[in-house]
Amino acid sequence: MSGAASPASVTVLRGDPYHLGHSRDGHGESRATGRGTGGPSPKRIIVAYGFWIFILSDIVMFASFFASYAVLQGGVSDGPTGPEIFDLSRIAIETALLLLSSFTCGMASLALSARRMLLFQTAMAVTFCLGAGFVALEAMEFYDLIQRNAGPSRSAFLSSFFTLVGCHGLHVSIGLLWLLTMMAQVLAKGFRSDIVRRTLCFALFWHALDIVWVGVFSVVYLMGSIT
Amino acid sequence: MLGKLTLSAIPLDQPVPLVAGAVVALIVLGVIAWVVIAGHLPYLWREWITSVDHKRIGAMYCILALVMLIRGFSDAILMRSQHAVAYKAGGYLPPEHYDQIFSAHGVIMIFFGAMPFMIGLMNFAVPLQLGVRDVAFPTLNSVSFWLTASGALLVNVSLVVGEFARTGWWPAPPLSEVTYSPGVGVDYYLWAIQISGVGTLLSGVNLVTTILKMRAPGMSYLRMPMFCWTALASNLLIIAAFPILTATLAMLILDRYLGFHFFTDSHGGNSMMFMNLFWAWGHPEVYILALPAYGVFSEVISTFSGKPLFAYRSMVMATMAIFILSFMVWLHHFFTMGPGGDVNGVFAITSMIIAVPTGVKIFDWLFTMYGGRVRLTTAMLWSLGFMVTFVVGGATGVLLAIPPADFVLHNSMFLVAHFHNVMVSAVLFGAFAGYTYWFPKAFGFRLDEWWGKAAFWFGITGFVIVFGCFYWLGLLGMTRRMQHYDVADWRPWILISAFGVVVMFVGLVCQVVQLVVSIRRRDSLRDVTGDPWDGRSLEWATASPPPVFNFAALPEVHGEEAYWAIKSRAREQMRLREEPAYEPIEMPLNSPTGFICAFFSTLIGFAMIWYIWWLAAAGFLGAFVTFVVFAWRDTVEYEIPASEVAKVNRANRSTRLEALHGAGQRRAA
Amino acid sequence: MSHADHADAEGLDRHQTEVAPGEEFAEEDIGKGIRGYLIGLALAALLTVCSFAIVHAKFVWAPAVPVAVIVFAIAQMGVHLVFFLHITTGPDNINNVMALAFGVLFVVLLIGGSVWIMSNMNSNMMPAMPPSSSPQSSQPSMPMIQPMRH
Repeated sequence: MSGAASPASVTVLRGDPYHLGHSRDGHGESRATGRGTGGPSPKRIIVAYGFWIFILSDIVMFASFFASYAVLQGGVSDGPTGPEIFDLSRIAIETALLLLSSFTCGMASLALSARRMLLFQTAMAVTFCLGAGFVALEAMEFYDLIQRNAGPSRSAFLSSFFTLVGCHGLHVSIGLLWLLTMMAQVLAKGFRSDIVRRTLCFALFWHALDIVWVGVFSVVYLMGSIT
Repeated sequence: MLGKLTLSAIPLDQPVPLVAGAVVALIVLGVIAWVVIAGHLPYLWREWITSVDHKRIGAMYCILALVMLIRGFSDAILMRSQHAVAYKAGGYLPPEHYDQIFSAHGVIMIFFGAMPFMIGLMNFAVPLQLGVRDVAFPTLNSVSFWLTASGALLVNVSLVVGEFARTGWWPAPPLSEVTYSPGVGVDYYLWAIQISGVGTLLSGVNLVTTILKMRAPGMSYLRMPMFCWTALASNLLIIAAFPILTATLAMLILDRYLGFHFFTDSHGGNSMMFMNLFWAWGHPEVYILALPAYGVFSEVISTFSGKPLFAYRSMVMATMAIFILSFMVWLHHFFTMGPGGDVNGVFAITSMIIAVPTGVKIFDWLFTMYGGRVRLTTAMLWSLGFMVTFVVGGATGVLLAIPPADFVLHNSMFLVAHFHNVMVSAVLFGAFAGYTYWFPKAFGFRLDEWWGKAAFWFGITGFVIVFGCFYWLGLLGMTRRMQHYDVADWRPWILISAFGVVVMFVGLVCQVVQLVVSIRRRDSLRDVTGDPWDGRSLEWATASPPPVFNFAALPEVHGEEAYWAIKSRAREQMRLREEPAYEPIEMPLNSPTGFICAFFSTLIGFAMIWYIWWLAAAGFLGAFVTFVVFAWRDTVEYEIPASEVAKVNRANRSTRLEALHGAGQRRAA
Repeated sequence: MSHADHADAEGLDRHQTEVAPGEEFAEEDIGKGIRGYLIGLALAALLTVCSFAIVHAKFVWAPAVPVAVIVFAIAQMGVHLVFFLHITTGPDNINNVMALAFGVLFVVLLIGGSVWIMSNMNSNMMPAMPPSSSPQSSQPSMPMIQPMRH
């Protein structure tokens, strides 16, 4: 088990080009186009595509929460309305943190491609800090609301608000856990091709969460603040 | 410490569930004891429980489904016998128990009978038909299966610990809210479905990736067997629809556990939103189940008519049209709930349009048989039975898609008859057709035809009797979910339908006997060549049962019906394909990850149902640690040496060559 | 990732093969990659600022504000897809884009359908009870929904 694999060991072609499993050296890359010629696609395509499909299913789940929010946002009952509880300056900071973290996550992917360990670990650490800052701000927002008797059990509007925003926050928190796991894996095992694939999946996940956040701040906070 | 769980959770005062639960527990314990004492445990652990082989996992899905179908059918027997005696009387099942039985019947049949059966068949057959070694993510496949099994386990635990939901198979709020259903029944439903739903979603991701990204060289989209197309459509629907179910049930969980107000009808909540979201999953779910069955029928009818599938491309178009349309019709499940005429009208029209591609399929199957040399095997009989009965179910479906008619018929036994008519004839008949068709491929010997045909004839006769009566009862005004009744006009039809269930039961017994008889006579039913039905797609190009790597060298595909082309050439030239250059093959190592994950998810589910928070936290931690340990592995695959591959393949080639020469001599004589 | 090394070694160029979603194009050097992300970051930041600014802008016709927010949001999602997730319209990306298109279709059907159905049902409800009725009443205490604002 070598540490950082040299490019030479990665390009070795050998044996069965249609192998399964998460072979660590990336040998056996096939020439498939994914359109019927050449046989099964290479592992990196299969893994990333499978994860891409999973992300799309996750987006559909968010769509269900968005639909609930859209339908129930009028159900404020005797509780507060959106403009009364939304603090747009906090949301602006959260947005900035998440957008910057998407950028640093991109830097980490580039460092991964270039096999530069220090740059990779730094970019991932910065991403973690930005993401953790986002989660902390969101937790503070939720705490404040609950303190002001505007918790999720006050009205259907607040239920759907907490669930939609909280589901995104939960995803970011899981992403942070995953991020730490990938930093540890890359540190311990180097740029092994299966770990590189996983880290690219993590990057996909992180960027997708930023896209969902664009929907959240636009539909929930901005449109909800228009009186 | 144990949350809401006390000894009183065991229903000592209710003899029926207690006895039933005790019998099931005894059987399960007996089987486990036999496995351990006879020393089969290491074998089971090595070859099945930790297996990541798509063929093994597919077989385990089907076994789970068969067991759960029997469990669900026993609920049906209870309901029919209750109705047989509950005329102007209470019957033997008190209302709160009867309600659990019809809820459990629906949940088990849909989620743990039909779903695993279809997913099992797809898991088994799709990689073989595509000519590849396994699915895209073999270990994930094992995780999916064990999560489904975990959900099934939780539903069955509810038989002896606590209770099951009394809300029907979709837990409609506000009835399912904690105000009206304070017990653990709805929680059992919610956590069991959430856990198995995650398994289903992952399996959908897996199969879509397999079909779109892993095919034998030369197999372009329009050369894929029909079953792969329907599997693609079905799994795309899983990816699009199951997240909606997960989200909806999560909202209900939040309502019940944390006092949210999504569906409470107070504080601005709206229970109709549950219906809306639930059926936005629920209607695609119908096609998630039916589409793979259509694929099975396409394979079976084409094989046993000895002809290529008629109008293959129109069948592909019809499949994809159903895939899109199935997402545009969900409102027809609640026409009567209050949407206006415009909304009802739009969804009525889209619902009726679905009949068009389905009709295209029926005609394609009929024309496939036309002019063919039809062999009436068991699998073919199930397919024919499907075509005859399904047309009736489809026609009543078009009838129910007309909102004014639906206003009269909704929630009646007519509706019950309609959806059983389509579900049983498409999904269950399709499952049995696929089971009979691919059994020799999976286990190396055919199923006994005589008992199979007996099972078919009893099964379809009982089915027609039961649901024919239900249609009529609906027109007589009987509503669904009645625990007892006192209308004299209904009485004879209810008794006849009870007789019909007895006939179906005989069919079930024949099905079990068929399996036992076939295992005992397996030597005379042996499939030596790997091509027992004169098949047309690639799964028949390898041995029965296939080696772990499926194909010694991936087959080159040059047109539709890849194996038929190979076989025709072999018959013309009286020799097999050139022997490939054997190379070592890398296959993924077995992994207990799936089993351990399912263990922890069962713990989480059980703990959440009974409010045992520390156990739930421990379960989450365990699941995360399992994943990290799995991700930390260094050796993930093993190599099968070329000599071993050659040995396996040559054995199969020699039997095939013998068969080829035997057939040649017969033709010459 | 060194697949481009493979591709070069095998004499294949990228356009004959396929690309994984989110994959870095390794023929670009790291500087080019950073430039792409910087452009994406700048565009996304600009659109975000526009979104936040327009909500409080006095010079915009009020009913146009939600529309503008939606337009900015969709544009920003596009920017993220192109510059961060590297989704393109190239032939190597067909499968990725098709999957995305199906996802978008189902999201639109689900959200649009739900809003349409539920607002239609709500407008068909009986007039709301006066607010003085008991809070335990199962009738919602207000007309439940204003029509969606987009």
